[in-house]
Amino acid sequence: MTTLLEKKTDIQPVMEARALFKRYGQVTAIDGADFELLPGEILAVIGDNGAGKSSLIKALAGAVVPDAGEIFLGGRPVSFRSPIDARREGIETVYQDLAVAPAMTIAENLFLGRELLRPGFLGKLLRIVDKKKMNEEATAHMQGLQFAIKSMSQAVETLSGGQRQGVAVARSAAFARHVVIMDEPTAALGVREGNMVLDLIRKVRDSGLPVILISHNMPHVFEIADRIHVHRMGKRAAVLNPKKISMADTVSVMTGALKASELSPEVLA
Amino acid sequence: MTTSTTPTRRLHLPSLSTIGPLIALLLACIFFTTQSDRFLTSQTLSLVLKQISFVAVIAIGQTLVILTGGIDLACGAIMALGSMVMTKFAVELGVSPLLAILCGIIVTTAIGALNGLLITRLRLPPFIATLGMFGIVSATTQIYSGAQTVSNLPDTLGFLGQTFNVFGTAFTYGAVLMLVLFGVAWFYLTQTAPGRHIYAVGNNPEATRLSGIPTTRLLVSVYAVAGLLYGVAGYILIGRVGAGDPNAGQTENLESITAVVLGGTSLFGGRGNVLGSLLGALIVGVFRVGLTLAGVNSVYQILITGVLIILAVATDQFSRRKA
Repeated sequence: MTTLLEKKTDIQPVMEARALFKRYGQVTAIDGADFELLPGEILAVIGDNGAGKSSLIKALAGAVVPDAGEIFLGGRPVSFRSPIDARREGIETVYQDLAVAPAMTIAENLFLGRELLRPGFLGKLLRIVDKKKMNEEATAHMQGLQFAIKSMSQAVETLSGGQRQGVAVARSAAFARHVVIMDEPTAALGVREGNMVLDLIRKVRDSGLPVILISHNMPHVFEIADRIHVHRMGKRAAVLNPKKISMADTVSVMTGALKASELSPEVLA
Repeated sequence: MTTSTTPTRRLHLPSLSTIGPLIALLLACIFFTTQSDRFLTSQTLSLVLKQISFVAVIAIGQTLVILTGGIDLACGAIMALGSMVMTKFAVELGVSPLLAILCGIIVTTAIGALNGLLITRLRLPPFIATLGMFGIVSATTQIYSGAQTVSNLPDTLGFLGQTFNVFGTAFTYGAVLMLVLFGVAWFYLTQTAPGRHIYAVGNNPEATRLSGIPTTRLLVSVYAVAGLLYGVAGYILIGRVGAGDPNAGQTENLESITAVVLGGTSLFGGRGNVLGSLLGALIVGVFRVGLTLAGVNSVYQILITGVLIILAVATDQFSRRKA
């Protein structure tokens, strides 16, 4: 079945899922879903409302524990009981509802839960934070992503919506070792702000981290995705090449009007 | 949704909720200085500090709780039970005073932790959990004490009510302990990782949890530390009253919240400053002493406090809407 829907590659996937299942009572949210993320790519995950893409992504991010199936990270089987487990394995997730602490500074948000402590016995014992070092490292990291913000010690709430999302993206890029998952990162943003976040996502990919991008925004998906995972009725319907297939055909696959088997092999990725 | 890419606020001026309480305190002091020759003296300062000392220590605990987005309506009752345990253990059980104090503080810390568990494990709203605990703890104090005052205390129990002289003015040790505790709390909240996590959880609990911070443990320890502080306040109270009073702690719930709110800490959690709560407690204390010295009916203090609370929360709402 997999061979029909995608071209097999010899490249070892960064992240892989095989035959995931998740049921909530009568509802089957994940119905034998497969998934593959390749090194250095932006993989868009699209699907109609209720297709179960959100459950799939939550399973990959550790927020949902699947009933059956396997998840591999770099070929090694992993099982996540919580988002914290996934984070420990180097998977960072940016959630759509602007997951920042608004009254805290940019540097504090970047280092939340991973604060840099003052050196020395007292610093470790009392867990005194090294604000200066956090500001310096935050500045360097933001410059690396060409994300222009004057001061890392300003509160996140003084930023625009796009900049706030940018902080969340930068945070995940700073700490992810293997995968960055972004759940509708541009959904709440205007055009210019959305483009700014897209630029940032490209820079994260170019820095070597593969990105899973969940989005409803087709123009955004076609603008930055290297491959498109189409999710339908709880499983993967097809993996498409955005450079070869039209947006209209993609939507047809998403809604079920077009079967993957009816597509020409060259649009598959 | 804004599409601007420039920060909406460029200058780092201290916000109104930070300097507001300081201005209010200064205005009150200036006003009372014009009303009474006896106001601007070190005796007044000593009196105010002595009067507010235990409410201010409760307000430290209340600040921690409110910063997480919670509220503690049981604080006064917990303080009263703590002081009752201390005095009864020392006087009736003959336990050494220091051990009795320790037992009282252990009891208040445990009740605080229980509050935290009700809120995190049973997912009760803090308002309800602590309202229920207020009733339970108040009644327990009455039952345990038989509604009897405990007197004839050993000296150690009243120690924080004793005084020492600075340039001829007597200050209580309780007032000094209160100021030291504010310093410690300020350092903890602004300079340490756990302190910053308290702000984070009040700002965005879900984002804080997802960033790997054990928020349940954090909240339980915040309520437990608050309980510990209520125990210390109970010890200060014993020094102030000179007895174990089963009817104490009736008004301190709202007075501590008043101090926190006047100090500019947001009731929505995540923003505020514990030193503001000291200012808030001082404002209430200055009005109480000032109006007495000016020979004005003390009911005006309640009226003015009410006005100030509304002003303080309105300022908070206004600054949040701007942000």
